[in-house]
Amino acid sequence: MMSLQDMTLKMSASPHLKSRRKTDWIMKQVVIALFLPLLAAIYFFGIRSLFMVIVGVASSVLFEYGFQKLRDQPIRINDYSAVITGMLIGLSVPVTAPYWTIIIGSFFAIVIIKQLPGGIGRNMFNPAVGARVMLKVFFSPWITNWVAPGADAVSTATPLESIGHFSKTVGEEVPGLWDLFLGVNLGGNIGETSKLMILLAFVYLVVRGVINMKIPLYYVGTVAVISSIYGGYSVDYMMTHVLSGTLIFAAVFMATDYTSGALTPTGQTVFAIGAGLLTIVIRIVFNFPGGVGFAILIMNALSPVIDKYLAPRIYGHKKRPKVSLAK
Amino acid sequence: MLNMKLKYKRQGAYTEERKSRTEKKSIIEAPLSEKMIYPMNMHIGKPAEPIVEVGDDVKMGQLIAEKQGFVSANIYSSVSGTVESIEEKPSMHGPHLAIVIKNDFKDTPAPALTSTQEDLTSQDKLSLIERAGIVGMGGATFPTHVKLSPPKGKAIDTLIINGAECETYSTADHRLMIESAEEIVAGIKELLTLFPIKQTYIAIESNVHDSVCALKQAIGDDERIQIKELETIYPQGAEKRLIKTLVNREVPSGGLPLDVHTIVANVSTVRAAHLAIQKGLPLMDRVTTVTGEPIKDPQNFRVRIGTPIQVLIDACGGFVEKTGKMLHGGPMMGKPITSGQVPITKGTSVISFLPKEEVKVDERTPCIKCAECLNVCPVNLQPILISNAYEQGDIDEAERLGAMDCIDCGNCSYICPANIPLLDNIRQAKTEIKARKEKSS
Repeated sequence: MMSLQDMTLKMSASPHLKSRRKTDWIMKQVVIALFLPLLAAIYFFGIRSLFMVIVGVASSVLFEYGFQKLRDQPIRINDYSAVITGMLIGLSVPVTAPYWTIIIGSFFAIVIIKQLPGGIGRNMFNPAVGARVMLKVFFSPWITNWVAPGADAVSTATPLESIGHFSKTVGEEVPGLWDLFLGVNLGGNIGETSKLMILLAFVYLVVRGVINMKIPLYYVGTVAVISSIYGGYSVDYMMTHVLSGTLIFAAVFMATDYTSGALTPTGQTVFAIGAGLLTIVIRIVFNFPGGVGFAILIMNALSPVIDKYLAPRIYGHKKRPKVSLAK
Repeated sequence: MLNMKLKYKRQGAYTEERKSRTEKKSIIEAPLSEKMIYPMNMHIGKPAEPIVEVGDDVKMGQLIAEKQGFVSANIYSSVSGTVESIEEKPSMHGPHLAIVIKNDFKDTPAPALTSTQEDLTSQDKLSLIERAGIVGMGGATFPTHVKLSPPKGKAIDTLIINGAECETYSTADHRLMIESAEEIVAGIKELLTLFPIKQTYIAIESNVHDSVCALKQAIGDDERIQIKELETIYPQGAEKRLIKTLVNREVPSGGLPLDVHTIVANVSTVRAAHLAIQKGLPLMDRVTTVTGEPIKDPQNFRVRIGTPIQVLIDACGGFVEKTGKMLHGGPMMGKPITSGQVPITKGTSVISFLPKEEVKVDERTPCIKCAECLNVCPVNLQPILISNAYEQGDIDEAERLGAMDCIDCGNCSYICPANIPLLDNIRQAKTEIKARKEKSS
């Protein structure tokens, strides 16, 4: 019979059990969720969507591997975070975008935004959002040619251009709300058109405990409330704001990013509402359709300060602790 | 199965439950050991001092070690026999002075603590609890008479009976509530005579409904005692959390439940108080779960204090697979031990054995700021920031972040997807903060 003397007993301190949810498990859940908008993209825009995402993933993972190899750092491509970044970039451009724009975006996201500050967990900005905004600013002619699906592939204006610039009503040329929701006959970045699929992905990530649902809800909710007030309580106007552009896609997949978001519970609320406010201000005041990207980047930059002042009140204390800016 | 673990700020973690191996098993008498070991440090506070000598004959229920000062507790022999030695023996806190008694298996009883149960004043009852050597039997082992002695000006108005057994494998309190509900309720009624208590709650996790039924029956129509079924979440049974959940009061930082007019006592402790007051019995036995996947036939034992763990392992039929860790306590807060000679003490509610493959150390990866350590901290700390501050050598910052308020529950290290030793770092920070305080004073 086995006895205690035959066994080597470990002496490390408590806790002695660990949750099975590791970083790579969490990241894999996001990858799974991203397949939903990817399927919609393939359905609406064709098989090129899949190739775009493959290019994004391959280049992101390669840049990460190359960087870590050159710097003699531990190779961490197995954590799947670069896969997410690559998928997000591939899904963040229209179907007409040349493959090289995706590769440039991946380079910027992985090397400049993520690896230079120290790699996973150390980046102040969301890599995919940074890449989107960079592409939008410098490579606009190649990536803003909105193409609606269909044989004749006519370039269309985005709905946002017709509701921006202090306009309070929805123009005639804007697609119907159902089309906006389902992504039917809609131009735009390939991953963002089907709100239905993004909502399914949202539910999946919430149920798996991967994202905190309050972040997308507060973010989109803020946009809904402000646009509703601004548009004289027009449901059409409000819903067009909510369903157009990157908002819902970014609210689910980008504003919920751990590293570039806020750490504290109240900080996360402020982060989400702040992103909503900035998005609607940029859209309405500056007539700039790329509001979501800038809004998230600005909140990314503010999040350490938000966390510093909103440190949770510790049990048994009267005030929030006074803490330094997190390093 | 879809695991509904939503991500949001909560009061703990949904740790894995592994109670099924013993929750349906009735409490059985543990075999008697020939050798009984009584470490002098089986409670929090000052260790007791032996008052017997090698070669002395002792009776069952005889005082063998005396409490030293207020925060300390008496120790009684749980068998009759002869004092074999007084020497250092392995204990859950490492080697410590212990009295070893050779059992004569006659159970010759010593006189009871009191000859009369009539006309006992509150003072008499408190003194019986103190003399009986009763300590917090949920695991904290804080001397109960200290908890029951509010300083002048602190009126006690709330009594919380802790039946929220939140550790992964533990079922000892669960079984006790089913099988000794009458004694527990009798103990509660005794405590109610001691203070002008306005509200009394028995806190139970919602996963042990059968014990609720037993207690309800025992309470009958006594409206003073209310049962509260709470969410099954770790560490629901942590004293500070229970007070907040049940009466919405927060024990001030560094304070005791008395500071918020509350007494929290474990169900086993209450039963022991009942036996001391009603029968004049000192604390000599307790219920202990011996369990874990490697154990062949896990059990809930009624076991004499001082029984070496090896005796219980044998009574469970030994091992069916190799164990990687033996724990005095549960996997979340238990202390690792290596010797089967470590005895069951007053606070041993469970001895857990972990399978070998579960004790491997996973590689640490970078923090991704997932915020789960904040989400599961029952006292609202930011564990990762304390850990970072400690690793950067900034002890002041660790203190500002509330390191000293940590209750050691282990949730942060448990949940961390990057395997960062958060609690280890927080403990180290605490040690350094304490050391500095002592230096400067």
